[in-house]
Amino acid sequence: MPDTPSLLTGQSKAGDWRSYERVILPPIKDLHQIAVYEANGGYGALRAVVADGKFDRTGLTNEVKASGLRGRGGAGFSTGMKWSFMPPVDPEKPRYLCCNGDESEPGTFKDRQIFEYNPHLMIEGIVLACYAMTIKTCYLYIRGEYDDYITHVQRAVDEAYAKGYLGKNILGADFSTDLVVHAGAGAYICGEETSLMESIEGKRAYPRVKPPFPAQVGVFGMPTTINNVETLADVPIIVNRGAAWFAGIGPKTHPGPVLYGVSGHVNRPGVYEYPVGMSIADLLEVAGGARGGKKIKAVVPGGSSTPPLTWDVAATATMDADTLREAGSSMGTAGLCFLDEDTDMVSFTRRIAHFYHHESCGQCTPCREGTGWVEKLLTRIDEGDGHTRDLDLLLDLCDQMEGRTVCALADAAAWPVRWGIKRFRGEFEAKCKPTSFAGADLSGDGAGHVLDPVITPGGTP
Amino acid sequence: MTPDTPGSHARDVSPKPAYPPGEAIERTFTDEQLAWTRDEQARIDVFKAQYPTADGAVMKTLWLAQRKLGWLPPEAVQHVATTLGLPYAKVYGVATFYTQYFKKEVGKVVLDVCTCFTCQVCGGYDILHHIEKRLGVKKGETTADGMFTVQEAECLGACGSAPMLQVTNGPYVHNLTTEKVDVLLDALRAGNPVPFESVTLPQDQDELGGNRRTDAAAVTGSLVPPVSETIH
Ligand SMILES: Cc1cc2nc3c(=O)[nH]c(=O)nc-3n(C[C@H](O)[C@H](O)[C@H](O)COP(=O)(O)O)c2cc1C
Ligand code: SF4
Ligand code: FES
Repeated sequence: MPDTPSLLTGQSKAGDWRSYERVILPPIKDLHQIAVYEANGGYGALRAVVADGKFDRTGLTNEVKASGLRGRGGAGFSTGMKWSFMPPVDPEKPRYLCCNGDESEPGTFKDRQIFEYNPHLMIEGIVLACYAMTIKTCYLYIRGEYDDYITHVQRAVDEAYAKGYLGKNILGADFSTDLVVHAGAGAYICGEETSLMESIEGKRAYPRVKPPFPAQVGVFGMPTTINNVETLADVPIIVNRGAAWFAGIGPKTHPGPVLYGVSGHVNRPGVYEYPVGMSIADLLEVAGGARGGKKIKAVVPGGSSTPPLTWDVAATATMDADTLREAGSSMGTAGLCFLDEDTDMVSFTRRIAHFYHHESCGQCTPCREGTGWVEKLLTRIDEGDGHTRDLDLLLDLCDQMEGRTVCALADAAAWPVRWGIKRFRGEFEAKCKPTSFAGADLSGDGAGHVLDPVITPGGTP
Repeated sequence: MTPDTPGSHARDVSPKPAYPPGEAIERTFTDEQLAWTRDEQARIDVFKAQYPTADGAVMKTLWLAQRKLGWLPPEAVQHVATTLGLPYAKVYGVATFYTQYFKKEVGKVVLDVCTCFTCQVCGGYDILHHIEKRLGVKKGETTADGMFTVQEAECLGACGSAPMLQVTNGPYVHNLTTEKVDVLLDALRAGNPVPFESVTLPQDQDELGGNRRTDAAAVTGSLVPPVSETIH
């Protein structure tokens, strides 16, 4: 791109972040209790809209659109735009909102903090979203492993019902919404929006082919919108502070506050709330720097499916969609994992491959088989039985997985492998035996096959 | 209640299902053990009311059955199917799709040790191997006394307090060290409940002087765990 200036300047795009005041998780003790939440202005946005008419339904959608809020669940799609895709109200057809709290992407743990520390903000956002889209039922999907947090959120939901923020005629207005908490039972794929809907319907959660899109045919075959927990928690903030305030935080194309989940080899891992557009170097600094005074070698910027960056590139990048795209990765869920110089990138990539193999729903052949072969190949490289030629085989496998499946899990599985090999090839090669085509046993199973087949098909990896 | 299993024609089905319906299966639970209490039945009625179709309540009812029985043998799956008026195959299909439903008998306590990538690079495998050694089992196995099952888990959404584990689909135990694991195992063996740990946000430490919750025990994410990058 010769005429657009590079975004990889190393300059923070988060403005005056050092004096940033948190709004999603403001520093207030016991904010998860409804009395404390109300005493601090909680449910004020809902009252302003539903009871006092601050916005009508389209007005609220337009406000969210104007705020520039982009989904925090991974894809980063404009939330206001998504809401406006809902078809006109048909009294014959129920409509649904699904709040996506599956949060299973490795490296991501931000929604859990909202569940625990500020569940009412999310509930308020859910009710506002239901108001904007004239929705009477919301399913809040929480991964089954979050058992304690499901209990905790259910308690908050019960409190909200008791206070009239949920249920019939909310705050006396002609508007009713129910919120049903749905517990998952341990399947990463349920985070994918169509799979999530299948799971709510009580089925094996195989993702659906799109189109039709959920706004047309969603959960129980009805118009549906799916938003992430953090996305919906941003809505009351937008109503309270105004779209202009929200849009003025961080980069213009990707504004707002965001929860960064910082993990890996840092001194103070955890969830940090800052504007979008923080430089990765600044985040490393606030997280107390690398553990044991080591050097950081690589960063996974947004959960396991975002390609890892070398520190050289990461040090010039900021956490927003455009910059990370230029850096060769993506924002994902803003769960950053820092890896220090001692990390074995081969083992690391192998573990990611294991995850995707384990979590593939098995519906599409390239994904079901591909993730297995990728894991198998990486395992043999990691164990010292691989050959340099396997690296090209892996890249070839990635080619065959990307963009050929029902959902994006196959792409998510291929990217870290492809970019791991491209960016850390030296490390991979160091673990490989050099490829010799002269009668070498390349199958790695010790059975003495020559050249082809490189891996004997059959048998589950 | 007698499980309403399909007839003997099920023998014609090929390949043979793991839990052949219609055959005299070995049962773990009696009808009395399976039967819902009045309170459970009331909860199931609530579940049904929460979804427009009977299928919707399947996952919650399976959870209820597993909490009651510890795991889901065929007769429990059948019981759920009968309760909701669904075919066995449908409920069995759901039960097998999700990893948290136990289709095989497990120990009294199930330890799900996270070894996914963040936990891996923060010593998750060290923790797993330590537990395996202490209990004398490998991952996926149950101790001879039926007390502990050890499993390797995928990311449990607590990477900021890695390495960590989950106890029997319930409480999380964060920031593990081998010493903390030893204390935990002893407590579990003694039948003590695992306390809920609230992980303090680093910014709260700075701005609130500690955890924001006054009603839960807190742990901080800033311990330095052992480092290991091996996956073996
Ligand atoms: C394999 C896969 C897993 C996903 N997991 C999650 C998840 O755990 N949580 C989430 O909010 N979105 C997840 N998503 C993204 C959702 O499909 C969807 O885009 C998102 O929930 C929309 O919400 P948003 O617009 O508010 O971001 C996943 C997507 C894919 C392809
Ligand atoms: S890409 Fe993988 S996870 Fe997604 S539907 Fe296909 S097989 Fe299932
Ligand atoms: S990697 Fe272990 S909790 Fe996320």
